[in-house]
Amino acid sequence: MTAALEVSDLVVEIRRHHHRFRAVDHVSLRVDRGGALGIVGESGCGKSITLRAIMGLLPPAGRVLAGTVMVQGEPASADSPRAERARRRQLAMVFQDALSALNPVMTVGDQIAEAPLRVLGLSRRSAHARALELLGVVGIPDPRRRYGAYPHELSGGLRQRVMIAIALSSDPTILLCDEPTTALDVTIQAQILELLSDLRDSNGLTIVFVTHDLGVVGQVCDDLAVMYAGRIVETGPVAEVLAAPRHPYTAGLLASALDVDSHASTLVTIPGSIPDPMRLPPGCAFNPRCPFAQPDCLVSPVPLRAVAAGRASACLHHDRLLQVPHG
Amino acid sequence: MADVLLEVENLGVSFRADGGRTLRAVDNVAFRLAAGEVLGLVGESGCGKSTVARCVAGLLAPTNGVVRLDGSDLGVQRTAEQRCAVQMVFQDPYSSLNPRMTVRQMLRELLSVHDLVPRAAREDRCRELMSLVGLPVGALDGLPVQFSGGQRQRIAIGRALAVEPRVIVADEPVSSLDVSVQATILRLFEDLRARLGLTMIFISHNLAVVRHLSNRVAVMYLGRIVEQGQRDALFADPRHPYTRALLAAAPRLHQGRRPRPEVTGEPPSPVDIPAGCRFHPRCPLAQDICRREDPVPQQVHGDSADTVCCHFGADPG
Amino acid sequence: MSDANAVLVDEDLAPIAGRRSFAARAARTPAFVAGALIAGAVLLLALLAPVIARYGPLQQDLLHPLRPPSAAHWLGTDEFGRDIWSRLLYAGRTDLQVGVLAVVFPFCFGSLIGTLSGYLGGWLDAIVMRVIDVVLAFPFYVLIIALVFFVGEGTRGIYIAFALTDWVIYARTVRSATLVVRRLDWVAAAEGGGLSRRRVLLRHILPNTVSQAIVYAMSDIVLVILAVVTLGYLGLGVQPPAPDWGAMINDGQSFITVHPWLSLVPGLAVVLTGIGLSLLGDGLTDVLRPQ
Repeated sequence: MTAALEVSDLVVEIRRHHHRFRAVDHVSLRVDRGGALGIVGESGCGKSITLRAIMGLLPPAGRVLAGTVMVQGEPASADSPRAERARRRQLAMVFQDALSALNPVMTVGDQIAEAPLRVLGLSRRSAHARALELLGVVGIPDPRRRYGAYPHELSGGLRQRVMIAIALSSDPTILLCDEPTTALDVTIQAQILELLSDLRDSNGLTIVFVTHDLGVVGQVCDDLAVMYAGRIVETGPVAEVLAAPRHPYTAGLLASALDVDSHASTLVTIPGSIPDPMRLPPGCAFNPRCPFAQPDCLVSPVPLRAVAAGRASACLHHDRLLQVPHG
Repeated sequence: MADVLLEVENLGVSFRADGGRTLRAVDNVAFRLAAGEVLGLVGESGCGKSTVARCVAGLLAPTNGVVRLDGSDLGVQRTAEQRCAVQMVFQDPYSSLNPRMTVRQMLRELLSVHDLVPRAAREDRCRELMSLVGLPVGALDGLPVQFSGGQRQRIAIGRALAVEPRVIVADEPVSSLDVSVQATILRLFEDLRARLGLTMIFISHNLAVVRHLSNRVAVMYLGRIVEQGQRDALFADPRHPYTRALLAAAPRLHQGRRPRPEVTGEPPSPVDIPAGCRFHPRCPLAQDICRREDPVPQQVHGDSADTVCCHFGADPG
Repeated sequence: MSDANAVLVDEDLAPIAGRRSFAARAARTPAFVAGALIAGAVLLLALLAPVIARYGPLQQDLLHPLRPPSAAHWLGTDEFGRDIWSRLLYAGRTDLQVGVLAVVFPFCFGSLIGTLSGYLGGWLDAIVMRVIDVVLAFPFYVLIIALVFFVGEGTRGIYIAFALTDWVIYARTVRSATLVVRRLDWVAAAEGGGLSRRRVLLRHILPNTVSQAIVYAMSDIVLVILAVVTLGYLGLGVQPPAPDWGAMINDGQSFITVHPWLSLVPGLAVVLTGIGLSLLGDGLTDVLRPQ
C-alpha cells in the first residue's frame, strides 16, 4: 500500500553568516494513510526544517540538497509548478504561534474561506458556508459570531483552532503540525490534542506531529521518530519506544523527563549540551554525551538500522540498552 | 506551621483596563512559607501568579494586602536590606541580563552597593558564585550575548544569590529552556536548596516540575488560590475541580490517548470574572450555589494552611 | 567555605561563545567602513586645510578670475580669482566645525531629558512632551531669522537656534527607547537588587538607549551642515568673506550656465559629506548592537 507520505534520504542545507551546515541529514520517514507520526527532538535538531522541506516552505537561506519527498505516491518537487500545486493540495500545515501565523487584518472567517474560494473554486456563498462548517468542526462555539472576529480578539486556544480550520479548509489528506500546542496552556492543549485525534478518526487524516514534549506525542501519534543533530536516531511505535528505548539519547530524554504522578528523588540529566550544528563531533553526533560510547562510535555517523520488528535505531550499541531497566 | 518566614495576607492587585473597567489580576491571595520550604505556585496563563511574584519581590505595588517577612511588613518602598532579602529569577533569560554589562560587573555592582564583602574579597566572592551555579570562572568576563539560555539562567541565579537573599521567587525559570537544559537548571535549584537552605516560591505552569521541587503547592485560577496544601496530599487527593483538571490534562509519558477532558472551554478574561465561583462556567460539578456565591477558602484538614476554595471542596472526591 | 568552591553541577556546559571587539565588528560592517572612510577623508582634509591648501581662502588674484581647473588651481578659480580647492577645504573646516559643535548640546541635553522623562514618567513626562510639541511646531527658519535679528549674524545665531530646537528629536528618541527598556527584566532585577534610581538610569538604562541617539547624531550633523549651507545661501549664518559651502554655492549661482563647477563642486562636497555621515550612522547601528 502506498504510503501517504514518504521521505527518502532528505538533506537540507542552511546558510548562516557565510557558513553552511546540514540542518537535516539523510532523514527518511514514512507515514501510512490515516497514520500519525510524531517527530520529537529539542531545539536545533532539524524537526521543524524537515516539516518545512516537506511542505516546500524552506526559508530563503535553506535548500534541499538531496532526497525525495513522495506525497501519496507522487514525487513532490519544486521543479514543476504543477507538481508543486499538487503537493500543496494534499498537505496543510499548522504552526506553533497562531498570532503570527494569522493575518491580523482579515477576519478569521475570511481566512478560513480563502482556500475554498481560491483553491477549490467554490462560490463566495459556498466558501462562507464551508468556513462556518469548519468553525464548528474545530469546536469554536458560536461560529456565526466568531466568523467576523479578528485574530487578536480571540484567545490562544481559539486561535489555534482557527489555524486548524484553515489547514482543513483546502481538504488536505495530510496535516503537518509544527509544535501546535507548545504555546498553549495545559488544559487547552488537552482539548486541541483531543480535537486532532477526533479529526483523524472522522476524516481519516494523516498526521505528522512535531514536538519537543515526549508526554504529548503519545496522545496523538502511533509512531515516533526521535531526532538529534539533524538525523533520526530512533523510530518505532510510540508506546514501545517510550517503554523500551533503543537509543541512548531517547533513554536520556526519558530518564530526565519529570513525571507528574510521582517525584523522583534525584533528577537525572544528560551530560553535556546540544552540539553546534556547524561543529558536529566526529562519528555519532551524540557520542560526547553518551554513557555507552565506544571507539567505533567516533568513526562515522551511524545510519538508521532495523533492530527489531518495526523498530530502528542509529546506535551501534543499542543492545546495551536492553540490559538497563526502564518504565 | 513552624517558623513562618514569609507570609502573604489578603493580597489583591487591580489594574485599570480599557473602557474604564477594572482588571482584578490577583484577589485575596494568602499563603505562608516556613524557612527552607519551597512553595510551588501553579496555574495557567492569566491566573495572576507572576503578579503575585512581583508583589512579593517588591517590584509591584499591591492594591491591598500585605507581604510580611519575619513578621515585619514589606511595603513597595523597601530598604536595601529588605530588597536583598527577597530576590527574583525571571522567566526570559534573554531579557533578564543587561546586555552591556559583563557578569563580573553585574555581580560586583551588587556586592559593592550593599557592601556585602570587603573590596579585596569581592573577586573571590564572584568566583564562588560562579562555582555555586556551575559556571567556569572564565564566565565572569563574558557578556550575556555569549551565553546560551541555560547558562544565562545560571548567571541570573548567581545574581540573585549574590545579595544573600532569604527568599527566592523564581518566575517560570525553566519554561523558556530546552527540555534537557530544564533538567539541569532544576537540578541546580535542588542542589542550591539543599546546600544553602533556600526558601523559594517556584512558579510554573508545569505540574510535573512543581511536583518535583515543592513542599507545598498552591493552585491559582483567575487571580485566586483555589487550592493549596502539602504536595503529596494535594497530588494524591486534589479537592478542587480545577486542580483535578490540571492533573488530568498534564502530559504523561505512558498514557497514550486519554479520556475526553472534563473541563471544557477557555478561561475568561480577568476583566470579566464570572459571578459566584469564578470557575463555575467550566466546572463539571457546578450547581446553583456556585453561580450565586463566591466560595471562601476553607480548611481542608486541621492545618489551617491547607485550603480549598470550593463549595464542595471539603467533601472527599 | 572551600566546599562551596567545588563545581556543583558536573556536566560539561556548552562552550561560551567568543566575543569580537568593537574594532573587529566595525571592520566587518560594510556601511561602517564605507562611511568611516568617506567621512574620515572629508574630516581629514578639513583638518589639514591650513597645511594642504595651496592658497589662502581669501587670497584674491584678480588677474585670473573664473579659470577652469589647471595645474596651478586644481579646481579653478572663482570670480575673484580665489582658489576653489583651498576655499573648499577651509569652507569644509568651518561647516564641519559648526555641524559637530551645534549638535553637542542638543545631544547631551536632549538625551538627558528624554531619559528622565521616559523613566520617571508622571507630570515631568507630560510637561516635557508638551514642550516638545511646541518646539516641533515652530518653523525652524523663522526662528533662526528672528534670532539672527537679535543676536546678530554669524555662527552664534546658528548655535543658539539649534540648541533651542534640535534637542527635541533626541529627547523623543531616547524617551521611546527608555520606555521600552525600563520594562525589561534586567531593569526590574536592578531595581529589585536595591540599586538606586540614579544607578539604574546610568548603568542599566542609558547605555542601552543612547546608541540610538548616537546614530541619529550622525545624520543630525548632516542636517546642521545643510542648514548652515542653506543659511549661507540666504546670506545668514557664516559671513563673507569667510568661506562656507553654502556661500560658495550662492556665489556660483550667477555663473551657473557658463562655469557650473563653481556651484557644483561645493554642492558635491556637501553631498559627499552627507553620504559619508549617513553610512557611518547606519554602520554604527549594527556595530553598537551588543553582538
